[in-house]
Amino acid sequence: MAGRKPTHAAFALAALIACVVGLLVGPQGSLTVGQSIDVLGQWLATGGADAGMAGEILFSVRMPRVVVGFIVGAALAMSGCALQAIARNPLVAPDIAGISSGAAFGAALALSTTWLPVQASAFAFGIVAALATYLLANRNGRLSTVALVLAGVVVGGMFTALLAILQAMSDPLALQSIVLWTLGNLHHAAWSGVTSLLPPVAISAVLLWRWRWRLNVLALGDDEAHSVGLDPRRHKPWVLAAAVLMASASVAVAGVIALVGLIVPHAVRRIAGADHRRLLPASALAGGAFLVSVDALARAAAPVELPIGIYTTLVGGPVLLALLRAGRLGQRED
Amino acid sequence: MGIELSGIRYAYDGRVVLDDVSLQVPAGRFGVILGRNGSGKSTLLRVAAGLLASERGTVRVGGASLVGMDGRSRAGRVGYLAQFHQPVFSFSVRDVVLTGRAASVVTVPGAEDVAAAEEALAALGIAELAARAYDELSGGERQLVMIARVLAQRPQVLLLDEPVSHLDLANQSRLLETLHGLTRQGITILAVLHDPNHAFLFADEIVFLDQGRIERSAAGARHADAEQVERLYGVPVVAMELEGVSVVLPRPPRKEPI
Repeated sequence: MAGRKPTHAAFALAALIACVVGLLVGPQGSLTVGQSIDVLGQWLATGGADAGMAGEILFSVRMPRVVVGFIVGAALAMSGCALQAIARNPLVAPDIAGISSGAAFGAALALSTTWLPVQASAFAFGIVAALATYLLANRNGRLSTVALVLAGVVVGGMFTALLAILQAMSDPLALQSIVLWTLGNLHHAAWSGVTSLLPPVAISAVLLWRWRWRLNVLALGDDEAHSVGLDPRRHKPWVLAAAVLMASASVAVAGVIALVGLIVPHAVRRIAGADHRRLLPASALAGGAFLVSVDALARAAAPVELPIGIYTTLVGGPVLLALLRAGRLGQRED
Repeated sequence: MGIELSGIRYAYDGRVVLDDVSLQVPAGRFGVILGRNGSGKSTLLRVAAGLLASERGTVRVGGASLVGMDGRSRAGRVGYLAQFHQPVFSFSVRDVVLTGRAASVVTVPGAEDVAAAEEALAALGIAELAARAYDELSGGERQLVMIARVLAQRPQVLLLDEPVSHLDLANQSRLLETLHGLTRQGITILAVLHDPNHAFLFADEIVFLDQGRIERSAAGARHADAEQVERLYGVPVVAMELEGVSVVLPRPPRKEPI
């Protein structure tokens, strides 16, 4: 990991390019890249004057989708990054640990009752899922990779089953939207999604940013943190709460988008190093860029738009398997 | 400031690991705990560091009890080196040593913290490792890095669990000399060592831990008590005098004529 590492500016540039591409690329039959550039140029030249239907597509459909996609990708990547640090395990992520399934159930439950606040319910069940996974995987304070993955599968499976019960009780129209949403979807992303995402994600991001170096200390181990004056029993729950808050807020808006929280921090760690002062912001930028890029691909590649979670799983699955085979994720089997 | 443990009792799953253990290392002295594997040495050090809460007894550092002391104050008084550390992420050596400064850092380390980390690396002669990946180092190098981390913390009392166990002869000698030098600057050290001769050569105080109970050296720190060592480790030894310090060696087996 020695040597010169890419700066935040390089990650920011990649994120900017991804967002511009996301804005210009639409589904087949919609505005082409050339038309989008024309509309954007015209809008800039006229100082933001009404650009008609094309402008409506660009600024009311694509732009909120890009912004929601970026925030969700950044939130999932930061959440995964923080969870991996406190669990001392590079195989932890919101979806792997069952948090996303818990949050999805919480959000669906809130939607079906109409009186429960969606974000709060998603967060509460996300926390329940995280604690359940931790308690199942924990053996005398140690979290082995195998136990953690199995516990995550069990907890995630149970919440998915509970979600299926909710789905069975829903009317067919609602069922279709719930199914698409659970697969991870940015199709209905709107400015209202940005409004509901921003407060919880911003709060948790600010907290994790403040604790970015503390994550280095916690990632060395409980005894090692405690002996230098940082009590892990006091600090880890706050990091966990921030990580679950941003992940569950993302799930409440965009459904379960698989593997982003696992693969992005891992890939960025290999480029930017393990120091969370660099890793956390770089993961946020890369996570946002990754999800916006995959979403652009999802829109443009197929005649029918599939939920983005399908693409992140198709892309992330083989990467995860390759990492597991290379032994990069399973060093600790104690 | 010195460290004083009195009446420590610790049981794990109903099994008594430490029973009424009391010991004291005055300020600026090098104390060593000797004992067989499983005698409770590491547990004793973890209790002394405040990582384990004993059922009974007190740990006092500079006269103040560690119980209820906030993390920052405790870290300024006591530094702890674990017997073994398993890295998970590929931090640089500099980043690992820098975490020793956690007690003085609010959000991110400042120039003073970086300087303390560099100084600790230089004190152990491993400044050239600073940019290397910690998880790619040898066991001995990793141990030196973790010791540098404790030094960067700048505590008054160092609790070191087998600090020389993975080191080659040169590094063992250099580290023990460095630690001895620190005691001359007023730092107090309590270390678990495997080799009794290291204790006889460098320690000011030696205690023997046998099945969770303390036995004191009758002969004094720099004189090997062959009988006591034999009793403690259960092997026959011979004591020899070397430049005013006595050392012990396992008694060689009788060679039968072929």
